[in-house]
Amino acid sequence: MHDLTQEHLAQVIGVNRQTILAIEKGKYVPSLDLAFRIARHFGVPIEEVFIYEDEEQAKVQ
Amino acid sequence: MYNSFNGRERLKKNTFYLIVGCIAIALVGIFWYSDVIRTPLLIEVSFIVAVAAIYLVRRRVTDLIEDERDVKITEQAVLRTMQVFWVVFCAFSIGAVMQLLRAPSLPRGFHLEPPPILPELLSPRMIGFFQLGLLCLMIFLYVGFRIYYAGIYGGWEKDEE
Repeated sequence: MHDLTQEHLAQVIGVNRQTILAIEKGKYVPSLDLAFRIARHFGVPIEEVFIYEDEEQAKVQ
Repeated sequence: MYNSFNGRERLKKNTFYLIVGCIAIALVGIFWYSDVIRTPLLIEVSFIVAVAAIYLVRRRVTDLIEDERDVKITEQAVLRTMQVFWVVFCAFSIGAVMQLLRAPSLPRGFHLEPPPILPELLSPRMIGFFQLGLLCLMIFLYVGFRIYYAGIYGGWEKDEE
């Protein structure tokens, strides 16, 4: 979307690159603080970056 | 190797690991020496000082980021380790307390004669071996759980960049 590398985004947000990778893969659910920081970095509302799924929905998918 | 930033020495990650290695080697030497002079207090105090020094040095490392995912992995690993460890530790402690009370082995029965004197099962040497076992168990559990939770939270994913 912004032609960013994981490494650069991780540096800007202040986390490890592995964390960005884990979030992308859906392995790790970020805290609200981190989610807001990522959304703010892209200049979009948090709902455009993260979608809430309850456990039932996640199992179906 | 390190530079100055705002009046404080800043370290690189590799330098930090080198320092930790040196401290570990020094601890092994102190362990050996404290055994020679038969003074366990020396290694005990040294260990506490060494861990405190490592924490202090770690605060100066600039390229070692511990983010919330790392903290979560550590928390989970510590929690699971303690859940297993306290059971084993309490089981051992209960045995030691029984030895302290000189409790006879069950079933005791209703005879009124004094309980037989039991052989000493937990000699100081045995306690030392058991503590060594507990220490190794804790380390292996912690490392195992860390690897497990790092996998759960995407620690071993392949890079797609």
